[in-house]
Amino acid sequence: MKQKSVIVLIALVFCFSSCIEVLDDIQINTDGTGTLKYNVNLSASKVKINSILALDSLEGKKVPSLEEIKAQIEKFKTALSQQDGIEGVEIEADFENYLFKLKCDFTSVDLLQKAVKTVVEKEYRTENSNLNFDLNWLTWNAEKLERSIPDFQIKKAQELKPEEIELLKSGSYISITRFDRNIKNYSNAKAMLSKNKMAVMLRENAYAVTQNPKLLENTIYLSPEKP
Amino acid sequence: MRTFIRNIQCLTVIFFTVFAVNTGYCQSSEDFIPRTAVSVFSINNIQILQKVSLDELIQYEFMAEIQQELFDGSTAGRSLKDSGFDFDQKLNIFFGKGEEFEVAGFTFGIKDIDALFSVFDDFEEEKSSMEGVRYFRSYFNHLLVADKIGILIRVDPVEKLVKGETDSIWLSRGNKFVPNIFLDEYPETEYEDEEYYDDEEMEDTDDLFNVESEIDQIENGEGDQLIDFNEDLQLKSYNELRDSVFAKMQQKFFQEICVDLFILRKNLKDEDTDLKDLMKHDSEGVFYFDNSRNVVQGTNFSYFRSMFPTLHKDLKELYKGNKIVGDLYLKDDAISAEITAKYGQALGKVYQKMNDSKFDKTITKYIHQESPAYFSYNVNLREAYEEAYKILIPVLKEQKNSRIATNVLAVELINEFINKDAIFDTYKGSMFGTYNGVKKVTVKKLEFNYDEDFNYDEKEVSYLEDMPIFTLGFSTERNDIPEKVLRQIANMTSECKKMGDYWIFENAIFNSVPLYMINKNNLFIFTNDEDLALNHSDGFGSEKLARKQVKEMKKSGFVYANIDWSKMLKTIPVEILETKQADIISALSGQSGNMILTSSKTSQQKTDFKIDYMFEGDYQNSSKYVLDLINSLYIVLH
Repeated sequence: MKQKSVIVLIALVFCFSSCIEVLDDIQINTDGTGTLKYNVNLSASKVKINSILALDSLEGKKVPSLEEIKAQIEKFKTALSQQDGIEGVEIEADFENYLFKLKCDFTSVDLLQKAVKTVVEKEYRTENSNLNFDLNWLTWNAEKLERSIPDFQIKKAQELKPEEIELLKSGSYISITRFDRNIKNYSNAKAMLSKNKMAVMLRENAYAVTQNPKLLENTIYLSPEKP
Repeated sequence: MRTFIRNIQCLTVIFFTVFAVNTGYCQSSEDFIPRTAVSVFSINNIQILQKVSLDELIQYEFMAEIQQELFDGSTAGRSLKDSGFDFDQKLNIFFGKGEEFEVAGFTFGIKDIDALFSVFDDFEEEKSSMEGVRYFRSYFNHLLVADKIGILIRVDPVEKLVKGETDSIWLSRGNKFVPNIFLDEYPETEYEDEEYYDDEEMEDTDDLFNVESEIDQIENGEGDQLIDFNEDLQLKSYNELRDSVFAKMQQKFFQEICVDLFILRKNLKDEDTDLKDLMKHDSEGVFYFDNSRNVVQGTNFSYFRSMFPTLHKDLKELYKGNKIVGDLYLKDDAISAEITAKYGQALGKVYQKMNDSKFDKTITKYIHQESPAYFSYNVNLREAYEEAYKILIPVLKEQKNSRIATNVLAVELINEFINKDAIFDTYKGSMFGTYNGVKKVTVKKLEFNYDEDFNYDEKEVSYLEDMPIFTLGFSTERNDIPEKVLRQIANMTSECKKMGDYWIFENAIFNSVPLYMINKNNLFIFTNDEDLALNHSDGFGSEKLARKQVKEMKKSGFVYANIDWSKMLKTIPVEILETKQADIISALSGQSGNMILTSSKTSQQKTDFKIDYMFEGDYQNSSKYVLDLINSLYIVLH
């Protein structure tokens, strides 16, 4: 019930969100280890979220309490911590501004993907679900990284009603990829290279991403030298 | 239940939009409203049909769908006129909730019974044991036809009674515990769905309309035992048992109502002179609500009945005569509701004292002349308190119960010790409120701030958010007391600050928007209107409410409200709405009006209220206006 409530809240946030900012920041070292940071910033929607949380239910759906949301976050943190290859899971939840930050270290890109898929699949997998948990969104070898966006993330967003998805138009999705070596080049023309040449950033409209996930696809080629 | 609700909705729309009056028949539809009904809404068809004919009505686009619904999808050249309803009779919608069961339904005239069953085609005729009454049933809905009157009725025993009886039988069978897992077996939605009950279940109540047993019981003075402990009950599971108890109770209560209506010939209209008088009115609709029975038969009062029977009797007496009755008029340029709240003598004295209060003109300075909606509520709490104390304490003192005696002593001591002057001078009971439309308010949000290497931190930035603006103010003669409280709060939190003429509490609304408080001029005002707090702490000056409205407000009794729907709709920012919602707002904007609520002075017997809805535009009469409005919305939504 609690899990359903949290899903309802997230759906409602999307419904009423005038602005959502997702920041997906991954650091990959030469040995394949790294750090994932995933931030969701709903501070521009805090009036609406607070007004929703003040209700018991909305459109016949139960609105979760703050305690239920906190419990759900804690559950997610525990589940992720228990996955192979994942260490140092931290979740900062700022309920004043509705800014949520996840940070974890991983021992390999494959284990990171497996861990995320396992935790999310446990939460969302249903008989009728069309979510695909077989696809990878990160492919890494020491020379290059191919990255996109998890399929289930897009599918969940696409399940929103058309009028709800419209409201994502003012939101943004930012994807940052960092390395401990210089970047030689990359495939996505919209991507930007950092001054130190070790990071690439892609910024897209959240709605556009749900309609065309390829917008965040990027293959990044690395130079052997370290700065 | 869905069919029943659909039927009620359908008929309500039809009769709302049609209506007329009855002439030249012996018994009319209003003679079959059960005595257990607590509220009645009666629609006077003839009055309405004089304003909108059936021929005109069926031309509206929305009627096509209603007629399709009535005739199960295929109108095949049939219209509302072929539905068998007698539009020369009133439609009476009733509802009642007692300690044992709920009853809901409507009574109506029948012109052609065969045509009527093209509408009620899911009803099957069953054997009737009452002369002159035909009986039809569809699941738990009953349709009784007596002469040319139809009574569609549903009776449901109250949940508590069903559970109590079921548990009792269940435990008497030797079970130690009452199972609480039945909801897992019967999901709530399925359980409430009428279609869940299969034919076998319905056969349990086959002789539902055999009222002879009920008459025998009445004649023999029996009837207290709700359930006959049949052999087959012994073999049932808890849930089966519960369903059987429900069905049996339903049968018993339905039979009671039938006996009352058709054998004893008793009905609410004959029983209640207020309803009888109402039914003689030539208004387009009348409504009746017996608040005394509503309160006394309510669940909270059942507790008093079992725990403090004398107190229950006294309180029942106190509420006696507490009713709300009214008329609905469809005039040429307005829709009016005239409502009377009637009281018994004791409560009447309290209301009279409470509502006898001097109008505080200062409040009008804080209502902007362009305000789309505002109200004033003018009462004297001190007088009401003293009168209620005088009436209630003697009633409570008579009770021979130690718990009540202790509480009475506590109340008496508090009454002696507290400074009532300070309390009632601080909060006199009078208040006002305004809605000032939607304005942009400044809210803070966090943004990620990136450097050249895409490292980031969060920065607080301001942005503007649409927010409905409200003001709520209270009359006070002791501005010093709220000031004392606010100063203390300011000592405890930096979010509360005095800013000269007003106080501000940062992030008080939805943890995001500031709340302003103006504590001066014998008023204590809460608002999220920054402009009012910063620039108009002494009122809106020349922009305050116009003299005409002030006069109207002052002339009204204890309550006054004014809503300008056109202004109200204009303030809604359509850009944040979905296309369909925006279309509805636009359709309503073209056909909206002004609603005013006024009240009379309160006497010991009653207070009169009047609601006038004056609409804009050129309409022959308000029936046409309502129909056009319904039609516009129908077109937008389809």
